[in-house]
Amino acid sequence: MGLNYYQIKKNILRARKLVIKATNTAGSGHPGGSFSMAEILGCLFYKYLKFDPKNPQWEDRDRLVLSKGHAAPGLFSNMAVAGYFPESELETLRKFGSKLQGHPDLKCPGVEFCGGSLGTGLSYSVGIALAGKIDSKDYHVYTIIGDGESDEGQVWEAAMTAGKYNVDNLTVFLDRNFIQQDSYTEKIMPLDKKLETDNLSEMWKDASRWKTGDKWRSFGWNVIEIDGHRVEQIDAAIAKANATKGVPTIIISRTIKGKAVEHMEDNPAWHGKAPDSDVVPIINMELDSQFMIAPSIIAGDMSNLENEVKRCVTGRSDYIHLDVMDGQFVPNKTFDHTKIKELRPLTVIPFDSHLMINEPLKHVRDYIDAGSDIITVHAEVTDESSFGEIHDLLKQNQVGVGFAINPDTELPEWFYKFIPSLDQLIVMSVVPGKSGQKYIEETHSKMARLNAILKEHDFSGYIEADGGVNLENIGSVFADGARAFVGGGAIIGQQDVRAAIREFRTEVLSSRRELLLDKANELGGIELVNKWIGLHVVGEKQEQIKKIAQERGYL
Amino acid sequence: MNEPVMTDMRSEYSKTLVQLGKENPNIVVLGADTTDSLKTSSFGKEFPNRFFNVGIAEANLVTTSAGLAVSGKIPFASTYAIFLPGRAVDQIRNNVAYPSPPGKKGLNVKFVVSHGGLSVGPDGGSHQQIEDIGIMRVIPNLRVFIPADTIAVSQLTSLMANEYGPFYMRMARSKTPLIHSDSQKFETGKAITLRDGSDCTIAACGITVRMALEAAESLQQEGISCRVLDMFSIKPIDGETLEKAARETGCIVTAEEHNVVGGMGSAVAESVSESYPVPIKRIGAQDMFGESARDKEIPLLLEKHGITSFNMVKQVKEVRSKKL
Repeated sequence: MGLNYYQIKKNILRARKLVIKATNTAGSGHPGGSFSMAEILGCLFYKYLKFDPKNPQWEDRDRLVLSKGHAAPGLFSNMAVAGYFPESELETLRKFGSKLQGHPDLKCPGVEFCGGSLGTGLSYSVGIALAGKIDSKDYHVYTIIGDGESDEGQVWEAAMTAGKYNVDNLTVFLDRNFIQQDSYTEKIMPLDKKLETDNLSEMWKDASRWKTGDKWRSFGWNVIEIDGHRVEQIDAAIAKANATKGVPTIIISRTIKGKAVEHMEDNPAWHGKAPDSDVVPIINMELDSQFMIAPSIIAGDMSNLENEVKRCVTGRSDYIHLDVMDGQFVPNKTFDHTKIKELRPLTVIPFDSHLMINEPLKHVRDYIDAGSDIITVHAEVTDESSFGEIHDLLKQNQVGVGFAINPDTELPEWFYKFIPSLDQLIVMSVVPGKSGQKYIEETHSKMARLNAILKEHDFSGYIEADGGVNLENIGSVFADGARAFVGGGAIIGQQDVRAAIREFRTEVLSSRRELLLDKANELGGIELVNKWIGLHVVGEKQEQIKKIAQERGYL
Repeated sequence: MNEPVMTDMRSEYSKTLVQLGKENPNIVVLGADTTDSLKTSSFGKEFPNRFFNVGIAEANLVTTSAGLAVSGKIPFASTYAIFLPGRAVDQIRNNVAYPSPPGKKGLNVKFVVSHGGLSVGPDGGSHQQIEDIGIMRVIPNLRVFIPADTIAVSQLTSLMANEYGPFYMRMARSKTPLIHSDSQKFETGKAITLRDGSDCTIAACGITVRMALEAAESLQQEGISCRVLDMFSIKPIDGETLEKAARETGCIVTAEEHNVVGGMGSAVAESVSESYPVPIKRIGAQDMFGESARDKEIPLLLEKHGITSFNMVKQVKEVRSKKL
């Protein structure tokens, strides 16, 4: 069973947009803490939680307790996406007569805990877990606590109780975003180590500063530490937690408050503030512009692909792109599913298997079983019937559905009906078959044509640019609409993969900033451009964006 | 009056819990390192997997109970009065009284405490909870009981187990005299008229009920007919019985081992002032704290705060003189 990566991602995006809409309509609320836990909720709602929106009181359901109740918009948005109530109901958030109260409330069927007064959700969860044990139920309790609320002594009272009673049917996420209402947690009440400066990035520089895990371990808990925005890490952590017997588990998830909206990220001001209406369309565009970097390991040492995978892990790539070539569809031959199966245990980073092979329908099962998270097949070797079968098989196995077109292939018309459920479209910008080729410039105009077709057919997946993408052209490829980028020589070919990926990200980020400034200008002229720039107050962002605005002639 | 039979509330509570536990597998009991004193440990011996001692952690006691209750259990959470309402009021409010599943009011948690009021004695003012009624009765959905004897304890414990919703019941530390007959019925929100009378009403609760009966007896000698009400249900308060008492006796004295600010007397005054205003005199701690007193000195401590049958007699006479 695959990760269901793209479906989870798409739902997370939908939920984030609803948070913006809801808090904007309400005129208040807490987007920052809703966004830091967005991926955690995404993994829970769309992969692990057993629930029935039609029967919210189903007694065998898993329980989700949001102890950091102020992040209610995040919970409600996911409940809407999950089908508890229509998404339009988010517009009633915090309004008189609404079941969507300022903080989660049992008034809303499906909500398990009235949050708000901080530090109490863990005790409550222990109570639910104990009840499950008494009744020999196999439901699981998932609880999200905040780092700010960990100042409360009751959190640690509950931690002791959970340890004493061995409630292994309880898994806690610590949304470790380092920010509480007044300022950074490590300034107000350190959980790791007191922060002497005003620079939050200090906390990220050296993992030896992180002591929170030790605290929980000393309370007898199973402790897992992850990047709380990585779907695959969250997924693996939950799987591990569920398999751990005899002790409760805490997943310490290091996150970024306001994640996915640059001006909210790491900014304590966005703990409890709603975005203004005039910037909402720009924020939505920013949310739509999340991107992923996928190194292609065949650009490295083919005789030691294990090491290339490890370099991707160190480099913190979003996927690992696996170019499968059979020597028939393309002249070269690389590896097949047996190799992928060997590589799979090395990392949880999603495997993006790009099948450049003939008769993909015959082989796709092997690639699912090998542990692929996304599988892409080529237009040139599929037709409506074979792709239909592949599509259904992948969906059933929670594997992302990808479709690829060569530089001289147009999107076939028979394919249009699959566009709404397509997860990934690979637009080849070199002739496939070997690495190290130059980006074909005609791809830019092809992307414009494709965008029109995709939009018309409700595409909600990612366009992946594959072939000749490098630091010089990645910005324009992003501007064309690509949101995932395969990097061969430009990443794997480099000595320092991590630095190369970071540079890729910086370039895309810069291109995205241009896009958003253009949007601001289009919507509200120079006034909105200035307002947008003014929102970016953390670190050097404002200066950097100002510079881009100057280059584009806005200032 | 006859020499009273003295019995122990905590033993009765514990005995009733074990009995209820046999009848209803959903009953669970939680304690906070006072389970031997509260005698709830006997429930733990009988039903080890339905008994949780969370240590000296009252906030955790309350919220863990809430989690059990929302999952269908009927938790009885017990410790000393001083450590529950004052210390964990936020958890009581936000985790138990406020959360209301569709069609219900609050979660199904029963708080039963011992060592209420001044009669705690030697432990001193720090341990004499004289604010709990005030704290608990202002919280919506929460019902508040003070039983006068072990028959009330047993009946009310059963009542709480069978009636949905959050309750707070405060017991006394020392043995208490038997007041009620075995057949006495208890109903939420219904005061018990222990003695009829036409000249004045004494409304009492807990340990002051016996004193009120004594005062009425002594007033009888002087030709004053005094009605005595056991106001064990402080919330909901029995407005009907109080209105009737006001109408028929024309004045009321209240007596409790609690601050007169916000206590049972306040609740009576609030009710009567809206239904049939008559002169009222409130006996209790006059907005001041208690202090240590050895067991045999507890009557002296109570006397210092005017909580005696003698003072009730005096206040009845005074309040009668103010009759409208």
